[in-house]
Amino acid sequence: MKNKILDYYTKSDWLKPVLGFVGLFILATIFSPVSSKGTIIFLKFDNLSNILRQVSEIGIISVGMTLVIITAGIDLSVGSVLALSATLTAFGIMDWQLGFSLTIIVALLSGVLAGFINGVLISWGKIQAFIVTLAMMTGARGFALFIADSNSRNIGFGEGAAPEVFKIFTTSFLGIPFPVFIFIGVSIIFSVMLRKMRIGRYIYAIGSNEEAARLAGLRVNWIRTTTYVFSGLLAALAGIIHAAQLYQGNPNDGIAFELDSIAAVVIGGTSLMGGKGTLEGTIAGVLIIGILSNILGLHGVQKDFQLMLKGAIIVAAVLLQEGNLRFGFLGK
Amino acid sequence: MSLLEFQKISKSFSGVEVLHNISFQLEKGNVIALIGENGAGKSTLMKILCGILDDYQGKVLINGNEVRFNNPREAEKAGIAIIHQELNLVNDLNVAENIYLGHEPVSRFGFVNFDKIYSETKKLLTEFDFPFSVKTKVRDLPIGWQQMVEIAKALGIKAEIIVMDEPTSALSESEIQFLFKQIKLLKESGKTIIYISHRMKEIFEIADEVVVLRDGKYIGKYNIHEVDQNFLVQKMVGKEIKTSPNKSKLIQKEQLLSLKSVIVNDNKKRFLTDISFELKRGEVIGIAGLLGAGRTELLKFLYGSYQQNYAGEIEFQNKRFIPSSPSRSIQNRIVYLSEDRKNEGIFPELSNLKNSSISVLPSLSSFGFIKSELELDTVTTMTDELNVRMESIHQHISHLSGGNQQKVLLSRVLLIKPDLLLLDEPTRGIDVGAKQEIYDLIEKLKAEGMGILFTSSEIPELLLVSDRILVLSEGKHTALLDTNQTDSREILQYACGGAA
Repeated sequence: MKNKILDYYTKSDWLKPVLGFVGLFILATIFSPVSSKGTIIFLKFDNLSNILRQVSEIGIISVGMTLVIITAGIDLSVGSVLALSATLTAFGIMDWQLGFSLTIIVALLSGVLAGFINGVLISWGKIQAFIVTLAMMTGARGFALFIADSNSRNIGFGEGAAPEVFKIFTTSFLGIPFPVFIFIGVSIIFSVMLRKMRIGRYIYAIGSNEEAARLAGLRVNWIRTTTYVFSGLLAALAGIIHAAQLYQGNPNDGIAFELDSIAAVVIGGTSLMGGKGTLEGTIAGVLIIGILSNILGLHGVQKDFQLMLKGAIIVAAVLLQEGNLRFGFLGK
Repeated sequence: MSLLEFQKISKSFSGVEVLHNISFQLEKGNVIALIGENGAGKSTLMKILCGILDDYQGKVLINGNEVRFNNPREAEKAGIAIIHQELNLVNDLNVAENIYLGHEPVSRFGFVNFDKIYSETKKLLTEFDFPFSVKTKVRDLPIGWQQMVEIAKALGIKAEIIVMDEPTSALSESEIQFLFKQIKLLKESGKTIIYISHRMKEIFEIADEVVVLRDGKYIGKYNIHEVDQNFLVQKMVGKEIKTSPNKSKLIQKEQLLSLKSVIVNDNKKRFLTDISFELKRGEVIGIAGLLGAGRTELLKFLYGSYQQNYAGEIEFQNKRFIPSSPSRSIQNRIVYLSEDRKNEGIFPELSNLKNSSISVLPSLSSFGFIKSELELDTVTTMTDELNVRMESIHQHISHLSGGNQQKVLLSRVLLIKPDLLLLDEPTRGIDVGAKQEIYDLIEKLKAEGMGILFTSSEIPELLLVSDRILVLSEGKHTALLDTNQTDSREILQYACGGAA
């Protein structure tokens, strides 16, 4: 029985990050500051729902990033795409008067287009993903600055401004902010896709052995392009949420979001070499980073120290996942 | 005192014992063949000897002293080198850099002493009559010479014991003879060679002694002059294998594939010339040729794996056929099994189930969702039929032995229900028992009316399996022979480009 549990532990890809999340949750509870009334501040409903709200943007981006990384790719453009989408959202709803639906469609399409260009250049242009998405990261940011004339655009409500329905992004249901529901919905849709659908299986296959996938009759280029399109789409979705929450579209936002999101994916046990990884793990990774920032914030730990600790956590998480400190020179 | 001794070696992987109490001794200056079916434990035992695996029970003794290597470098220092089946060379470094990789002589300021590397390498390679510059990139060498570089590398670290894991699997006949000459030289200079191979003929040609393993157990060590092939095969499999073919007659006459004067050009060079043949349903055409003759290229071209220009006529099922892409070929029920399992076959991170079903998922799903029960049923029916030995269908394919991985890959292509089967070296690097199973399978598929193109670098195997044999030499079609009216000598002559 003990062996079976151990076996399961070593074989399932998502269990380790999820256990890491549970462990950190318990630690955070123990070390949480206590209010004068004796309640544990970390466990307060408001605090927990606040954590979820804070991680939902990075979380949504990380879902797309996971798909890309499983194919052994990388998408550095997500932060810029978020900024572009946020900027388009603000201008669409304020200056161009596109209305709610059309604004959102335009913003999402910008992400789809960016992802499609990434995918086409990587697949058919045979340029490395790192380089293509680095170029997109620069280019999309530039385009966002061009649209906004380098200023941020505030979103106001009323006649000749944003419609009331746009406030949906800042509402809560049962005390849980709306963006959290979007994050949960996106997570469920894509984890079902990865686990149950053909396209999910193909994504793993491409990451595991691209040439074998091609010879097995998979349309590798299209499948890979699809993952970049999803990544762009989800970054754009996060951009809309970003704009709605801050009541502004700022072309300078979202800087280094790609790195936070890669960190979450890696902490979640997805291998940068491709072929391996789960969305469950990524979600655990996102929550681990969120809880860590939260508990450190509650204790008044400054940003500088938080960043150093985050760096250490990334390395520690991967070391734990690999299960050893040995470097396999010829390991086969 | 013996040079090398194994004492009660046992080793388990996640609870499964793969080596069980193995004990034997080897003397200096011999060539010892190590044989056994796939999964018998040969590779695992050698990995222990070479420091790749360091957690095992039992002892390894060299000259009577116990050693326990924590990594390959320690084993190298003790004079043990391994030449893997898949060569371990860095393609973009040159010959000399590869030979000294990891132990480059350095000058006082920490710079690599390239003069010394080049002169030492030249000295090492004179014995081999190496026809290239030591500054040639390994990528540009023929595979046979790459192997020589590996051997030179072993000599460069002054190895006393050299382990060769299936060294001939990628070599042509002439290259094999060349390798054997080198092995004899090594033996004369007092080196001990542990030679892992599935090819009986080679073992009788080169070995002094033979050690047999079966299911992780030591079966025995025999003087090669006191045993014969049947005896060894029986020791390996523990049961009799039938060696005589029982070829079924052609039942159907319907034409499946025809090529007329097909010429295929790469951008610059022409790599297939004047290929013409007709393949009927229920027929096996074997493709013979030396290394680089274009056997793999012909199969991959027909599969649509290259998008090259070609001239000539191709008909498949009496319709004009243009090879365009693997996915299109699969729709036409043309399938290809690669010779290179590791790089072009398996998905190492995925389970046996997922490896098997990948090409037929559209028929196993609705609205993009995979019907998991249907998938499991379909795949297990096929893997049972092919007699794949595995712990579980959900186990990663990388845990299987070569022969069983090959069977899973066969199940992948057979699930497509092909009409035309392109098999590229299907028996490469797999054991006698699994080979026989593949021959039997080919017989069965033939009877079901498939047309099969089949390559092999072993001519006896081609004679055993094929109805006719197409011989290629440097991409050129040199002969199309009836198996019943030809022999190895004639095939080899055509393969070398000459007429019989």
